[in-house]
Amino acid sequence: MKYLKKTGYIVSLLVFLFLVLGPFIWTFVISVTPEYAMFAKTTDLLPEVVTFDNYMEIFSGGRRGGLILTGIVNSLKAVATTLIVGIPVCMLSAYALSRMEFKGRNLIRNLLLITMVIPVMATIIPLFRLFVARELLDNVFWLSLVYVSSYLPLITWLMSDYFATIPKELEEAAWIDGCGRMNTFFRIIVPASYPIILSAALIMFLNTWNQFQIPLILASSLETKPIAIVVSEFMTKDSVQYGLTAAAGIIAVIPPAVTALIFRRFLISGMMGGAVKG
Amino acid sequence: MKQKILPYLLLAPMMLIMGVLVFYPIAATFSYSLKKWKLTAPGDIRFIGFDNYKNILKSESFWYSLQNTLFLLVLVVVATSILGVLVSLFLNIQVKGAGILLAVAVLPWALPPYVNGILWRFVFHSGYGFMNKVLIGLGMVDKPVEWLTSRWMLLVVVAIVVVWRSVPFMALVCLAGRQSIPHGLYEAAKIDGAGTFQIFRRITFPLMLPFIGIGITSTSVTAVNVFDEIVALSGYSDMGKNILVESYLTTFTFLDFGKGSAVTYLVMFVAAILGVFYLKSLNKEVEY
Amino acid sequence: MKKKLASILLVVSMCAAMIAGCGKEEKSEKPKEDKGDSITLMAPDWAIPTDDQLASFTDETGIKVDVNEVGWDDIREKLATAASGGQAVADVVEVDWSWVGEFYAADWLEPLEVSEEDKADMPTLETFTKEDKVLAIPYANDYRLSYYNTEQFKAAGVTEEPQTWDDVLEACRKLKSTGTVDYPFAIALNAEEKTSTCLMWLAYAMNGVVWNEDGTLNEESVMEALKYMETLVKEELVAPEDKTSSGMDAYKRLTGGSASFLTGPTSFVSRSTNEEECSVVGQITPILMPGKEAKSEVTMALPEGLGVTKFSENKEAAKKFVEWYTSADMQKELNASNSAIPTRNSVLKSLVEDGTIKNAGAMMDEAERIVSPFPNGIPAYYAEMSSAMYNAINKMALGEMTAEEAFEDMNAKITELVEQE
Repeated sequence: MKYLKKTGYIVSLLVFLFLVLGPFIWTFVISVTPEYAMFAKTTDLLPEVVTFDNYMEIFSGGRRGGLILTGIVNSLKAVATTLIVGIPVCMLSAYALSRMEFKGRNLIRNLLLITMVIPVMATIIPLFRLFVARELLDNVFWLSLVYVSSYLPLITWLMSDYFATIPKELEEAAWIDGCGRMNTFFRIIVPASYPIILSAALIMFLNTWNQFQIPLILASSLETKPIAIVVSEFMTKDSVQYGLTAAAGIIAVIPPAVTALIFRRFLISGMMGGAVKG
Repeated sequence: MKQKILPYLLLAPMMLIMGVLVFYPIAATFSYSLKKWKLTAPGDIRFIGFDNYKNILKSESFWYSLQNTLFLLVLVVVATSILGVLVSLFLNIQVKGAGILLAVAVLPWALPPYVNGILWRFVFHSGYGFMNKVLIGLGMVDKPVEWLTSRWMLLVVVAIVVVWRSVPFMALVCLAGRQSIPHGLYEAAKIDGAGTFQIFRRITFPLMLPFIGIGITSTSVTAVNVFDEIVALSGYSDMGKNILVESYLTTFTFLDFGKGSAVTYLVMFVAAILGVFYLKSLNKEVEY
Repeated sequence: MKKKLASILLVVSMCAAMIAGCGKEEKSEKPKEDKGDSITLMAPDWAIPTDDQLASFTDETGIKVDVNEVGWDDIREKLATAASGGQAVADVVEVDWSWVGEFYAADWLEPLEVSEEDKADMPTLETFTKEDKVLAIPYANDYRLSYYNTEQFKAAGVTEEPQTWDDVLEACRKLKSTGTVDYPFAIALNAEEKTSTCLMWLAYAMNGVVWNEDGTLNEESVMEALKYMETLVKEELVAPEDKTSSGMDAYKRLTGGSASFLTGPTSFVSRSTNEEECSVVGQITPILMPGKEAKSEVTMALPEGLGVTKFSENKEAAKKFVEWYTSADMQKELNASNSAIPTRNSVLKSLVEDGTIKNAGAMMDEAERIVSPFPNGIPAYYAEMSSAMYNAINKMALGEMTAEEAFEDMNAKITELVEQE
């Protein structure tokens, strides 16, 4: 029985790795294939000639290379700003919605959740006009605010669920000891919430990294262009450089991948709730 | 008294952000949708009530796109849910390095959607893309399969791509759900002599449900809003377009801002129906 | 109590941060209204002059140029979004030939003054002219030229250069039947813009006309072109993946060695001599486009130009820039730095003659045959028309429609568009 279970596990593992990593490996293969061999009619999986020109171009400091690095830096800036603004706002909102009783609570909560379904296109044009009128274009801060507005529902929802699992007794004990409401918040709830904060941060990181349509309209100058847009610009109407795009794609995945690897323990611990910690 | 306004104070930042960046634009877009506003006829902007909506609902093009959207929605949600749950159970197995597997599972999510689309275009290229190379190499087909040339095949390929990038989030959420179930329950069940499937049906699944609900809602929203992948795989062709592509085409390609806004509103409407549906079922579940 | 204060402080400080963030960025925003002239240029990367070139412009005129490099596909979207709000997205902006009609109708471009001799030197200017107003000046000269692989043709027993479309068809059939090349004809069939232009130049080359005076499709000419395309598909002279891969990928089969005949962009002149892009260097010759009974009298140009936006606040400075950019000297320089093919015939001639442009073949002769197929200039509904065309052609290529049905489909939609004008 044990062997059956073990082989079953190994098979699942292999399938899992193949399905998840396969496309990345394939992207890598593309990034080292010379342009003329891109569509060669063979069943060979690997090209005959392997070239690292694409990576050289990215790292040699040429215009393209600089562009990619700028894109990554811009994306990182956007992520940082989004986190700095987003996490506190979500925490406060989640706290209010889950631990406090007040009129309109359900209404606000449902309104917030409903906004999850709004597609980018519904708001982008008026937003653009607003930004243009107030000269807010190409501004990392306001761009991040737009991102925050799109994550608010989900993150607040996750945080509310988490807060709901923190035993009321903890808070009540603090009140009895004379702490005010907000004091309790900072002294008790926040420290107990590190897991969810990190989970939320990771979710925001990944989603911000992938943002495409919003920055396309609101932030496409060189100073603020995120990496997702930079990569897409390698595909112009006349020359699609598949190899270079693939290489840039691989590089674009590295920051979030590394972050996920480092913080892997926190990926889900937040969503699990405070009950497990006890 | 201060206690009474505290909640509102706490919610103030959120409401400010949402008000300015979400509610105001939606209202503005609605007002656009009630006008005749083609950019190429700037002198002719006027209020026409619901005419735009009427025209769209009468157009074959819209219903076609809607069909594609719904097809994608069902396919993506079902596949992502099943795979997400399976992957989460797999990741739950306590083995050394399970943490690393978790990080690996997140990778598809980390890939920018546009690159995602290009990549899969290579995999499913009608000539000698990866899929074809494998299939021909294994001798399963003689000639390369034309993946992207028929409507339903194209949609299935799009679905595969979207599922691939949505499973990580689903799996994560489900894993959180799975791991928040107290061990005690499992021990008690084993003592009572419950079998693996019974445990799954009676304990694991029901208690994971709220989390699965979050995942399904999020995935549905993603599925309705698929855009980058469709464009990367089939451009702006009529064949594979969903209502979001239709909305983009009308607004930005045909420069009909009035009609385009109306299409976007209809998209929102479809998504909102889903949202309300899930909310209702979720609010029921949470009371466990 | 104290901590409530802290919470209020938190909320207030966040609001303050927001306002501060907005204010701070506003000040550090590039100063818009300068005393010294400064203009913004929005263009794709291939159009951006080098820093040195820009510096010399600033020295000459005192006008500073802020470059905003944006991907080609995104420029139109940005222009549209900005213009909808009455804003100029830049002072000088890229204008693709296909946008001229709609930009004119939407009144986004400032008419430019061009001398008569410049007009004669740049035949592609016609494409950017609507109702006698010049809306942009072309800088990149892309027109349709034919190419064929002499080695592959020889191997199949065809030694003469094809003169008519029937010649081409025959040659392709031979190439296929002798097994030399499986899919000798390279053409765009995917549901994208390039496919529409393929139909256009084909009908144009066959009959010298694509549209009637009123803007509707010329049935005879277009049907003939459609049927030709249908034949290519039915006899499998085009590769199956051409139906879904991007137009550029389909064209590149020529330089990849898997196709023997292409009618495509002028950029292939240099592509075919570049070892990094072409695996069959030395085998490809550019020739005049074939026609029905003899070589085609006309060819179509698909140029890109620079225009000045109507909402610009620095129109004079912007106009100076456009003039400078399209002057004969700059065109020579830009050819060297950006591989731009000059739009002034005089410059093109000299570059071909002194060997800067290699393997030109019939390029110069073809350049002199550039005429616009649009009877009334590019229509405002071009985008919708093109969409109707490429979708119908694509469906025909996929076998879902016959050539007749495809024509009916296109025609119905286009007639409707014409009537709405």
